[in-house]
Amino acid sequence: MTQVEVGLWAQLVLALATVSIAVLARPALRARLAGSAAAALGVAGAVTGVIALTGGQGRLVIPLALPVDPVVLSPTPLGGFFMVVAGAVGAVAAVYAIGYVHGPSASSTSWAAFATFLLGMQLVPGAADAVSFLLAWELMAAASTVLVLTEHRERIEVRSAALWYAVMTHLSFLLILIGFAVLSAAGHGTSFAAMSHVDPESAGASIAFVLLVLGFATKAGIVPMHVWLPRAHPAAPSHVSAVMSAAMVKMGVYGVLLVVLQLLPAGRPWWGLVLLALGTVSALYGILQASVATDLKRLLAYSTTENVGLMFLAIGTGVLLRAYAVVGPAEVAAGTTLLLVASHAAFKTTLFLGAGSVLHATGVRDLDRLGGLGKRMPTTAAAFGIGALGAAALPITCGFVAEWALLQSLIHGARPEDRLVAVVMPLAVAVVALTAGLALMTFVKAYGIAFLARPRGPEAGVAHEGPASMRVALVVSAVVVVGLGLLPGVMARAVVRAVGLGGIDVFGVSGLGLPGVGAALDPVALTGLTLLVAVSVLVVTWRMARRRPPRPVELAWGGGGVRVSPRMQYTATSYAEPLSRVFDDALRPERDLEITHAGESRYLVERVQFRQQLEDVVEVRAYAPGVRLVDRIGLAARRLQNGSIHRYLGYSFVALIAVLIVVSL
Amino acid sequence: MAPVLFAELVAFCAGVLLLTGVLIVWRRDLRAIVRLLAVQGVALAFLVAVIGVEARLPELLAVALLVLVLKGIALPVLLVRVSGPAGPGQVETPTINTTASLISLALLTTLAYLVSQPLKAAGSGPAAAAVPIGISLVLFGFMVLASRRHAISQLVGFLMLDNGIATVAFLIAGGLPLVVELGAALDILLVVLVLQVLTGRIRAEFGDIDLDDLSELRD
Amino acid sequence: MNAGAATLAAVQVVVMVVVSPLLVGLMRQVRARLEGRVGAGVLQPWRDLRKLAIKETLRAAGTGRVSAVGPLVLVVSGLLVCVLIPLVGAVPFVSLPDDLFVVVSVLLVGTVALALVGLDAGTAFGGMGSSRHMTIAALVEPTVLVAVYALSIPVGSSALSRIVVARIDDPASVASPVSLLALVALVIAVVAETGRLPVDNPSTHLELTMIHEAMVIESSGRDLGWLELGSWLRLGALLGLLGSLLVPWGVAQDASVAAVLIGVVTLVLKLAALGSVLAAAEVFVAKLRLFRVPELLAGSFVLAFLAVTASYLVVQAG
Repeated sequence: MTQVEVGLWAQLVLALATVSIAVLARPALRARLAGSAAAALGVAGAVTGVIALTGGQGRLVIPLALPVDPVVLSPTPLGGFFMVVAGAVGAVAAVYAIGYVHGPSASSTSWAAFATFLLGMQLVPGAADAVSFLLAWELMAAASTVLVLTEHRERIEVRSAALWYAVMTHLSFLLILIGFAVLSAAGHGTSFAAMSHVDPESAGASIAFVLLVLGFATKAGIVPMHVWLPRAHPAAPSHVSAVMSAAMVKMGVYGVLLVVLQLLPAGRPWWGLVLLALGTVSALYGILQASVATDLKRLLAYSTTENVGLMFLAIGTGVLLRAYAVVGPAEVAAGTTLLLVASHAAFKTTLFLGAGSVLHATGVRDLDRLGGLGKRMPTTAAAFGIGALGAAALPITCGFVAEWALLQSLIHGARPEDRLVAVVMPLAVAVVALTAGLALMTFVKAYGIAFLARPRGPEAGVAHEGPASMRVALVVSAVVVVGLGLLPGVMARAVVRAVGLGGIDVFGVSGLGLPGVGAALDPVALTGLTLLVAVSVLVVTWRMARRRPPRPVELAWGGGGVRVSPRMQYTATSYAEPLSRVFDDALRPERDLEITHAGESRYLVERVQFRQQLEDVVEVRAYAPGVRLVDRIGLAARRLQNGSIHRYLGYSFVALIAVLIVVSL
Repeated sequence: MAPVLFAELVAFCAGVLLLTGVLIVWRRDLRAIVRLLAVQGVALAFLVAVIGVEARLPELLAVALLVLVLKGIALPVLLVRVSGPAGPGQVETPTINTTASLISLALLTTLAYLVSQPLKAAGSGPAAAAVPIGISLVLFGFMVLASRRHAISQLVGFLMLDNGIATVAFLIAGGLPLVVELGAALDILLVVLVLQVLTGRIRAEFGDIDLDDLSELRD
Repeated sequence: MNAGAATLAAVQVVVMVVVSPLLVGLMRQVRARLEGRVGAGVLQPWRDLRKLAIKETLRAAGTGRVSAVGPLVLVVSGLLVCVLIPLVGAVPFVSLPDDLFVVVSVLLVGTVALALVGLDAGTAFGGMGSSRHMTIAALVEPTVLVAVYALSIPVGSSALSRIVVARIDDPASVASPVSLLALVALVIAVVAETGRLPVDNPSTHLELTMIHEAMVIESSGRDLGWLELGSWLRLGALLGLLGSLLVPWGVAQDASVAAVLIGVVTLVLKLAALGSVLAAAEVFVAKLRLFRVPELLAGSFVLAFLAVTASYLVVQAG
């Protein structure tokens, strides 16, 4: 058996072991044992992915008792890359969960579902034909629905969130199923190898492309199919949200890459435009909603939409440029997608685990009630800060490297001969720049309001750091964020092997070069330069501090006000208020102003009440009417079911006669 | 057995089956319907025995015995027990009036003859010629099931449906393997037992088992 | 190559640290004279820094480490920008090209540090200044990136030094419509980024009109000193960038003593000229309402975008 096959078997065995431990172990030991087993499962997945990435071959065939083809697992280097991402994120989240789980999330159902979820997620990139892919996909979807429902007894909104999630995820399953069906009919076979022989110019290929992209985009959280993300992530327990956001939505991105790179490689230009359009709209809408969100997890969920939008933008650029035969930047764009995937997985895990720590410590997710957590929870604050730096694409984090590569491929990809490309590329650069700016603001808000200054509510005043396993997981993921940013060569080598194209080079200790566009970046050198520059500043300030140390005072000056209470601080809502005014048309907040006058007077006011509510515009404008329409159709159809058994039997009788007549003709 | 005797015996059984089927659709009285079903069961058992003797398969005789016990005796007895204590025969008013139901019988028989052309080709000899009767029994049974109000009549229709299927199976393929027949028989038994318990509970709860009234339970 | 780049970098840093406060002093003096006042003199910012270095630093009870570290980060980012932007000379490090996005990101690190200092103060004014500052920074970023993108198209690279060198070699490109559109957009972006009129009034005393001032209102002593120096460095570096792009001659292309001297002198002259023009313009312009600023920034973005499309038409026609 080859190493890859050993790795795949190890994953199956470990998943089974975790489920058994979850069911059989005593409650006191359950978290530790199941968590360790799940972490081992994640590590096994990551190792298998690395082996597949470095060229290991292997083919595992698992016959099933069902009347379908057996499951065939044979990961390509691209699949190996995503397996590494899924496995690493799962391992870190499992370690975190050991300390985090309490109440319903510590039950055996929850742990068993977690193990199944990790297994499904790690097997999706390994599938070699459509049936295995769909089976693993459904496993992942079903297990994650169970996990989202974990706390449905404590919080009522969890049920509706799980319903939305279940519906959207099965919508994506349906679309992917039909897409694969079209492709396999055209390619005469369900294996991916057979499907890759379909002619991309044919109508069938285009139909399949649209269906598959829509299905994968729903899973990835692209606007307008993103409505499940901001509901499901706050509803699920934090370690589950981390895995869902950092690894599961990547499976949607993997699906699109599979279609674009492996199944239908020589695509048409309008395919690239479709992906670009989806990507830009999602990136802008996602970060806009994130910048005005006050629920910490909802903010992070919308930020995932933004990042996935950027990934789709990168893929779309690659497809478009390749269709116009601009080879260098096209390869860079394809590689950039994977850089974005890896960096987003790293910093989003950190951010969600940090948010989980905050929730664990204070019991609130609302930024308007937090504050001052930096002093009480230093590890979480540091890790969340590093994650926020990564999300805002600032040096020296992996987010910075990924965004830099994206901008390079966009700036150098334009060709004036093709008018379309010449207009689309600058627009894409502008969109990326705007989302980068808004992301900056969002994460300054998230970090600043939650961790700086003073607590805005009583819960934040009693916060404390969580147990050791949570801290370890946080530190590990923060180190990965910085490490990948400092030594992007590791990521770049993996990306080159996964994509199988050139375009990304590694030089020096950690430098990243893009020969296709003539750009290079060496974060270690940048860091070294910074340190050199900072030395003089640090020396001067240290000497000044020794001579005259700072004096602590009780109250801040606050413009001369004596009563400067913590309630007077800016909240997250007020921080985002200028922005929500600028983008009023896109966000459409509901504002309610109630003025109660004193007595009969029109000028003396007794009470003023202001309410502002920001709903997801897509949900309110597009989904709610759709749901109402389906409701009306359902009520009308209910008249067919009036409860009379005779009518039902009559239906079957008539059907039988009709069939017999048809058959005998 | 002489071929002529065999053909005549098969025709006789088929005739009895068809006659009882028509009478079940025609009669209103619940007890009469159950008795007719019992006669149908006996006729079916006899048919199976004849085929068994002709084809020299002793296991078919065992099957015939099983059919006799089950469909000729046990199930009708159960049905009588379900329908309640003996009294002036309960009569029901079906949803389709008698004239319409008899006309539809004719139409269904025509349909059965049309449909069974390919099936007749598959089988052979006089046995195969009686296949349309089996299919008509299926259709009659379904019609009874769909158009009667009383739960007992519906059960009778269901059992007639099963009789028709069994008839077709024996006529074409010379019978089903013992295991399959046993399994099917057990299924039927189970269905009837469950329905017996259910109707008993419904009657205890609501007083009678008129199904149209039961549609009130929907909302 | 790296030795030359290192020398130039060191020269740039020293010159900017010395000159930026003088630049600010000059701008204030020009403004004062135009408004009919005597003014405090060009050296006043240096005197202010000296005073702040001696004064005691107060830290309120609710603040944390960010109030101490933030000002240092701002200054370091400002110094780093001075190293990376071609001010005195256009000789980049071999493995560290002064790429557009790297420079913008370093500037943004400083922006973020300042915003966090404002939030850490724990007062309403700090939050207000921080929120306005970040909103403007978010809306300025597209303009900056697209404007430099427009300038990079004729050159084929987004490294600032190569753009400047290409403009030295081809004087016509400096006056081309593409370049003019992009530079106008860049001027508006620089004004917004550094907090000058009409976006923010650097000498206001009304808290409700403050953006930059509100963020530093709680800092004192050396914290405030670093914050001020950091802001001045950013102003100097960005004006220097504008100068190198508008009038590229004089920028050294190698590390010889003569070239460096010429580069320093021309840089000081360019800074002085640009600073005076900016200060004079400020006298005649009123501060915009905060909610009119996005309109201004949208306008500058449109100019930059037009510059990009114009450059494609030019290349196509040429």
